[in-house]
Amino acid sequence: MFETSSEAPASVQVVTEAIKEYVDRLGPIWVEGEISELNERSGMMAFIRLRDPSVDMSLSVMCHKSVIAAAQPLPANARVVLYAKPSWYTKNGSLTLSAREIRQVGVGELLARLEALKSLLAAEGLFDFDRKVELPLLPKKVGLICGRNTDAEKDVVENARRRWPSVVFEIREVTVQGAAAVTEVSAALRELEADPDIEVIVITRGGGSFEDLLPFSDEGLVRLAASCTTPIVSAIGHEKDSPLLDLVADFRASTPTDAAKNIVPDIAEEIEMIEALRNRARRKVSTMIELEQSRIINFRDRPVMKDPHVIITSRAETITAFRQRSHRSFASHVKLAKEELVQIKARVRALSPQATLDRGYSVVQLANGDIARDAKALKTGDVLRLRLAKGETNATVNAMKE
Amino acid sequence: MTEKKISYEAARDELAEVVAALETGSATLEESLKLWERGEALAAICQEWLDGAKKKLDAVKP
Repeated sequence: MFETSSEAPASVQVVTEAIKEYVDRLGPIWVEGEISELNERSGMMAFIRLRDPSVDMSLSVMCHKSVIAAAQPLPANARVVLYAKPSWYTKNGSLTLSAREIRQVGVGELLARLEALKSLLAAEGLFDFDRKVELPLLPKKVGLICGRNTDAEKDVVENARRRWPSVVFEIREVTVQGAAAVTEVSAALRELEADPDIEVIVITRGGGSFEDLLPFSDEGLVRLAASCTTPIVSAIGHEKDSPLLDLVADFRASTPTDAAKNIVPDIAEEIEMIEALRNRARRKVSTMIELEQSRIINFRDRPVMKDPHVIITSRAETITAFRQRSHRSFASHVKLAKEELVQIKARVRALSPQATLDRGYSVVQLANGDIARDAKALKTGDVLRLRLAKGETNATVNAMKE
Repeated sequence: MTEKKISYEAARDELAEVVAALETGSATLEESLKLWERGEALAAICQEWLDGAKKKLDAVKP
C-alpha cells in the first residue's frame, strides 16, 4: 500500500482511511451467531454483540432499529443469521458489521442441522455402544459440571450423599446456557478429565427451552466428550430432551437424581445385600453340617457300630445253635436205642422158655451149659443143672438106664 | 498322626464302606473286630470335622 518507517510514519488518519478503503471494498456477507447483547438505547441504531456459540469469539454488529423490529420476536441468546457488510469506523478505529437484515434461525432449521450433525457423528461411530465405558461401582472422586446454585447440582449432590455419605465431589460451577456455555463446560470437562482421581464426570443442567439446551449439542463439546477416557454421565434437561451429549455420554441419566443413583451405590442396599449373602452362605453351610451330622449319627447307630457285641454274639449264637443241634440229634439217637432195647426185650421175652417151664417142664443143662438132649451122652456122676419154673437146682447122674 | 489329614468326605465314605462290610457279616471275626475299630476311628474323625465346622460357624454368629 504505502511505505512507512520510523522516520516517516503514517498518520492515524492515513492508516484509518486506508483500512476504511480496504474494508469498504468487502462485500456484504451472511454470518451466523448468537446475539449475546442487544443495545437499543441510543438513537436510531441498535448495537449487537454476535457471539460464536462454540468458541469464545465475537463480533460487534450495528443496525437500524427497524432491522431489529423486522426480526422480532428475538429471545435472549437468539440464534441468528444476518446479512451484513463489514464497515470501519474511523472515529474509534473499530470494525463493525453493518446489518441489513436479521433472520432468526428457526427451530426447524436448527433441528435439521442437529439431525445432520447427529448422522455425521453416528457415521463416525461416536455413539457406538462399544465405545461406552462402564461406570465404576464406587468412584474415588466424582467430577460434577453444573450451573451455579442450581437444583440440578443439589439433586446430584444430595441424592448421591444419601446413598453413599462419603462420596467426594469435584464441582465446577459454570454457565450452562447462552453464549459462554460451550466454552465454560468444555474447559471444566478438560480440567476434570485431566484429574486422575476423578473416575466419573457428571454433566448436568435442569430443563430448559430447546435453545437453552443447544450448547449440549455443540459439535466441539460432543467431540470433546467422546474423546474423554473418564466415563461421562449426562443428565441434561428432562427425559424428552435429547441433546447430542446424551448420545455420546457413557451413561444417559434421565434426571440429575437418576445420575446420582448411577454414580454411587446405595450403602444401605449394599449392606443389606452383603448381609443377605452372608445369611445364605451360613444357612447353606449349616444345613450341610446338619445333613452330614445325621449321616454320621446314622452310621454310628447301626447295630454293628452301636453294639459291637453283635459281632461276637452273632457268632456265639451260631455256636449255641450247633450245640443245640448236636444235643438234639444225640438225644434222639439215645431215645431210638432205648426203644430198640424195649423191643428186643419183648422179643427175648417172647422167646423165653419160662412158659414151658411153668407148665411143669424143666430144662437140664450140662456142666458146660449145653442142654442135655441125649442120655447116651451122660455118665454116672455128671452134675446136671435143672432149671425149673421157679429157681434152679443141681442133680447128679447116679445110674444109667440101658 | 497321618490320620488327621484324611478329608471329611474320605473318612465318611470309608466309614460307609466299613459299616456295609460289617453288615454283610462275611468277614472273619478277627477282620470284623478290625473293621469295627476302624469304623470307630473314622466316625471320630468325622465328628471332629463336624464339631470344628460348627464351632467356626458359631464363632461368627451375627
